[in-house]
Amino acid sequence: MSKKLLSILVVLLLALTSLMSTVAQEVTLRYFTFSAAPDYLEELDTIIAGFEAENPGITIEVSTASFADYFTLLQADVVSGSAPDVFELNYESFVTYAANGALADISAYLNSDAPYYPRALEAFQYDGVQMALPGTFSTVLLFYNADLFDAASVEYPTDSWTWAEATAAAEAITALGDDTWGLFSPVQFWELYKKAGQNGECEFFNAEMTESTINSSACVETLETMVGFMESGIMPTQAQLSGVSDSELFLSGKLGMLVTGIWMFGAFAEADFAWDVEIEPAINQNANHFFANGVAVSSTTANPEAAALWAQYLTASETAATVRVEASWELPALDKPEYFEAYLAQTPPNNRAAVFKALENPVTPPVIERQNEMQDGINALITQVIDGELSAQEALDQAKTLLDSLIQ
Amino acid sequence: MKPSKLGVRLVQISIMVFLVLLMVLPFLWMLSTSLKSQQYILQTTPQLIPDPLTFESYTQLADRVNLGRTFFNSTFVALVTMVGQLVISSMAAYAFSRMEWRGRNTLFVLYLATMMIPSVVLVIPQFILVRSLGWVNSYAALIIPSLSSAFGTFLLRQFFMGLPKDFEEAAFIDGANYFTIFWRVTLPLAQPALATLAIFSFMGSWNAYLWPLFAARREEVMTLPIALATLQAGPRALTEWNMVMAGSVVSVIPILVVYLLAQRWFVQGVVSSGIKG
Repeated sequence: MSKKLLSILVVLLLALTSLMSTVAQEVTLRYFTFSAAPDYLEELDTIIAGFEAENPGITIEVSTASFADYFTLLQADVVSGSAPDVFELNYESFVTYAANGALADISAYLNSDAPYYPRALEAFQYDGVQMALPGTFSTVLLFYNADLFDAASVEYPTDSWTWAEATAAAEAITALGDDTWGLFSPVQFWELYKKAGQNGECEFFNAEMTESTINSSACVETLETMVGFMESGIMPTQAQLSGVSDSELFLSGKLGMLVTGIWMFGAFAEADFAWDVEIEPAINQNANHFFANGVAVSSTTANPEAAALWAQYLTASETAATVRVEASWELPALDKPEYFEAYLAQTPPNNRAAVFKALENPVTPPVIERQNEMQDGINALITQVIDGELSAQEALDQAKTLLDSLIQ
Repeated sequence: MKPSKLGVRLVQISIMVFLVLLMVLPFLWMLSTSLKSQQYILQTTPQLIPDPLTFESYTQLADRVNLGRTFFNSTFVALVTMVGQLVISSMAAYAFSRMEWRGRNTLFVLYLATMMIPSVVLVIPQFILVRSLGWVNSYAALIIPSLSSAFGTFLLRQFFMGLPKDFEEAAFIDGANYFTIFWRVTLPLAQPALATLAIFSFMGSWNAYLWPLFAARREEVMTLPIALATLQAGPRALTEWNMVMAGSVVSVIPILVVYLLAQRWFVQGVVSSGIKG
């Protein structure tokens, strides 16, 4: 073989290998999310553009679904063996997916300098293994209509309020008119475990997680407090709301106080009355929701490293954090106060600092592997208490039987 | 007309007018809400005639949802499904009603039994099947699984059974084969039943939610109900009802058009097959 031919062959071979390696570097990751659509798609595109610029060769393909349909679709994808490479999970669903082997262990790919809140990072460990990254957090506050407080001549809520004071204020506001209500505080699973935290003595399970303690007298008292708001006439029942959501009632200026999430700041900004927020009143102590959404990598992905890189960029990069904060698109779970300055400067509400004050006493939901069954079961029992079919004690006795069977 | 008869007639008419209003009111309410701006929707004294009247929800809707694309997708999928169901169901119904073969009745009972399986149970297996065929996010996934319809076959079989055999026997004597008879004799006689099935299948496909939710997640193939559902905010935001209602108005129009076109045969079909609409 002539030297010329040989050299041509070598060059061709080299060209081919380099071509093949570039082909190998071209990775497309499928990312599935519920928090972006329909309002934050542009912000997500900005974050993706930042990631793709830093990581040439990786393309992110997004699909979205509404929260109501998201978990149905995700479950179908996982069981049909075509899970997206990277997907969002709320904290409550995390354990179910981790326990069923749907999530990849991403500890090996993690950058240890990433400034996550240590507590948030721990929340997404399963059996001591990092199975997802904390993406965003949110909390729930007491929203109040300052104009109605003025009209009823009652003092605004403070951070040392108890529910007794809130009830007294609600009574004064309810007295303002037939279609005006003092308070709305949802009566369901998510409120029950938080109000249980405010009670301090009510726990859903014993410390060893061997038995449910949800029918303790402290829990019964907690549930009675919650339902009591309706019975005393300061809070509308579902029938009295007749299809109007609690947020819509607040926005129409007919509701004095509403217990709801900080995700409503944007929607309430257009209210034509003065409103502000405060941390929730205490029963015996303060306790506030800590909701977290995580980002997980599928255990079946062909590109775990690239997928983990994207998950980390989405949750911990400065670009992602600032984009989220500026758009009020939930808050990054990062220990970087400077990222939050822009958030705190926005009004309304004036008392945005309450968001961070709420995090001093966080309550996370009780989580078991059969989470959905627990939530649905407890919600059904609570509805029966609201409808007067069961007493709080009877409902929680039944709840204990249910929870005991679910943790077996 | 005697006064007493006139009185009876008046009572009858007022009852009917009342019933019509009862039926029409939700549609009027939908139309009225779609023409209000957001702040007037939840007023405690509701107004039926919007003041001020605005079309802003329709323009906003066109911004939020790719209306042209999803409208086309829905129409295309519904029309193809409708035509496919008419062809397949009528041929199957003809075989089940007019041709003699072994195991015919057993197979028909088995075929009918598939109607008793709730469609929700079938979604995941069907999804896995469609996924392994590589059809996800394609028209094939939306159309092919619903082409054969046990209900349609049943409806048409019952109708064919009621047709007098004499026409067909005459055609046989003239030398026609099964297909010619099916095409030239049975189908023309079955127009009312075909129109009924056409409406049912168009409506079924047009309103389908769960399966298209799984099968068509990309905007290129997304159908109207799925796109409209994205307007319904979750528990974490406020739903803009005027936009939801504008979307509903848009999605009702094709059903109205199909119904008006097929109405003449539809009523006859419902009467003669004894199936409620």
